[in-house]
Amino acid sequence: MALLTRAEVEDFLYHEAALLDEWKTMEWAELFTEDGEYLVPPTDLPDADKNAALFIINDDHHRLVQRAKRLTRRTAHVEFPHSKVRHTIHNVRILEQDEAGLTVASNQIVYRAKRQNLDTFVCHTIHQLARTADGLRIRSKRVMLDIDGLRPHGMISAIL
Amino acid sequence: MNKPLESGLGGTHFIRIDPQRCEFLVPRWAFTDQAVLDKEREEIFGRCWLYVGHASEIPKAGDFVARKVGGRQLFLWRGEDGVPRVYFNTCTHRGAMVCREKQGNAKRLTCPYHGWTFDTRGGMVEQPGASGFPDDFFANGAKDLISPAKVEAYRDFVFVNFDPNAVDLTTYLAGAAEYLDLVADQGELGMEVTPGEQVYSMRANWKLLYENSADGYHAITAHASYFDYLRATVGVFREDFDPHDVGGGGKSLGNGHAVIEYQAPWGRPVAQWVPQWGESGRAEIARVKAELSARLGEQRADRIANWNRNILIFPNLIINDIMGLTIRSFQPVTPGYLEVSAVSLAPRGEHPEMRAWRQYNFNEFLGPAGFATPDDVEMLELCQQAYQNMPEVGWNDISKGMNRPDANQGDDEVQMRSFWIRWDELMGAAR
Ligand code: FES
Ligand SMILES: [Fe+2]
Repeated sequence: MALLTRAEVEDFLYHEAALLDEWKTMEWAELFTEDGEYLVPPTDLPDADKNAALFIINDDHHRLVQRAKRLTRRTAHVEFPHSKVRHTIHNVRILEQDEAGLTVASNQIVYRAKRQNLDTFVCHTIHQLARTADGLRIRSKRVMLDIDGLRPHGMISAIL
Repeated sequence: MNKPLESGLGGTHFIRIDPQRCEFLVPRWAFTDQAVLDKEREEIFGRCWLYVGHASEIPKAGDFVARKVGGRQLFLWRGEDGVPRVYFNTCTHRGAMVCREKQGNAKRLTCPYHGWTFDTRGGMVEQPGASGFPDDFFANGAKDLISPAKVEAYRDFVFVNFDPNAVDLTTYLAGAAEYLDLVADQGELGMEVTPGEQVYSMRANWKLLYENSADGYHAITAHASYFDYLRATVGVFREDFDPHDVGGGGKSLGNGHAVIEYQAPWGRPVAQWVPQWGESGRAEIARVKAELSARLGEQRADRIANWNRNILIFPNLIINDIMGLTIRSFQPVTPGYLEVSAVSLAPRGEHPEMRAWRQYNFNEFLGPAGFATPDDVEMLELCQQAYQNMPEVGWNDISKGMNRPDANQGDDEVQMRSFWIRWDELMGAAR
C-alpha cells in the first residue's frame, strides 16, 4: 500500500473546498461514501455523541444529499441568491492511515458574506477518508466550531 | 407618522383594530425604535415571568448553569438542600461575575476579584482580610448574593420575575399551564433536557420571532424546500395524511400566551411512528403509546401523541412539541438583534434508539442549520431590513382569520393578535 502524502490529502481537501465555494453542492455530496455523514456538534460539546446530544448538523447520507439539493433551489430562501463563501484550510495533519483510509485533521476558516454582513466560522475539522477505486471519498466530516455559539452568525446555511 | 414617544408611548394604543373591516394593524416602528425596546425592558421584561431553565439541567446539589435573561446575567444553582435557586451573577462587593463557567458544580463560588465567597444559599460566608469592616457588617445576610424578586417553577420549568408585585407563576401562565402539562406528562419518569445547546442569533426584532413561531400561514411558501425534502425522504410521509387538513387551529391562552395545535406527517418520538424508524421503532412507539394510555387514559394519550403544538409563552419562550420537543427562549439585544438559546427536551429513560431519532428529527426542521429555521431567519431579516421603508410604509397587517373568530384555522393569525393585544396593554400600562 502506498501511503498518501499530506500534499495529496491537501489536494483533496482543497478540491472539496473549491466545490463548496463555487456552490457545486451536488458534486460535493458525491464526494461522500454511501454511508457518509456530515456533522456539526454543538459549540459547547465538540466531542458529543450524535445519538445522545442535540447537534447543529447531524446528517446521514440521505440528509446530506438532500441538504446539497436544497441549496440548488431558489426556495432555499436563506441561500437565494447564494451568499459568497470562502474556505481556507491550514494545519493539515494525517492522524492515521491504513489500507482502508485515513483520519485527517485540519483547521478551517469559512467566511460567509451576505447583505453587508461577514460571518467567520473558525473550525477544526476531522475528515474520515476512505480509499476507493475512484480515489478518496469522505466517510465522515465532523466540523467543530471554535466559537462560543453562533453569534452573531445566527446560522449555518452554507456548507462548512 | 409621529415618533413613538410622542404618539404611541404617550397615548393609549399602538395597534389599530378595526372590527368592522376585520383589520388589525401594528406599527412598524415597534420593531425598530430604541425607545420602544427601552420601554419593553421596563414594562415587559421587567414585569413578566421569564424562563430561566429546566430543573433537569442542574440535577445534583451544587450544579449550576449561567444564563442571560431579560437583559440580566443570572445563574441557576441547586442548593445543597436540593432547592434550585436563581441569583444575579454579580458580586455584592464591587460587582464581578462570581459564576464564570457556563455550567458546572460547586459548593461555594469565590469571586475572582477580592475573594468574597458565597455558598449555594447565596450566603456570603467568607472574605479574606475581614478587618476594616464593623463586626456586624455582614450580619443578617447584608452582603449575600441577590435573587430576582420572584423565582418559581412549574413542572420543572424555572421562571423568574423582577417585579415584586407580580402575580404568581401559575396565575400568569393561565391557559398555557395546560399545554406545559401536555409536554411534562410525556415522560413516565419526568422530562430532561438533553446535552447540547443551540446558541444562535437573528438580525431581527425579538417580536418577529414570537410571531413566526406560531405562524402557520408562511409554511407553504417559506418552507417549500422543506416539503421537497419530506417528499424525498422515503417512508416519512404517512400514507393516510392529507396535507390540506391539519385539523386544530390557533388560539389565545390568555396573558398573551398562545398555541397552534395541528396534525403533521412527520414522526413524533411520542408517539407517532414513521416507516423510517423500522420495525424496532414501531415496537418501541407502540410501547410508549401503551404506557401513555395506561398512565393518562386513552383520550389524553391520543391528544399528546397525535397532535403537534407550538406553544408560545409570553413574552419570550417557545416550546415546540412537534417532531421533537424544543425549549427555545430568546432575548432582545438591540431593536434589530436577538439572541436565541434552544435545547431538546426528552422523557427520562427514553429508549436510546428513540432518543437518537428525536435528536435527528430536531435537526431536520429546526435549529440554526435545519432545513427550515434558516429560511425563517431569512424572512425575519428581510422584514427587519425592509422596515427602513418608514415612515412611508408604516404598518404591518395581522388580520387573517378575523372574519371567522370562532373557527381559527392553523394558518390564521389569532395567536399573533393575542400577543400584540397583551403587548399593547403592558406598554401602555405605566403611563
Ligand atoms: S468584587 Fe467580588 S470580591 Fe470584590
Ligand atoms: Fe417557519
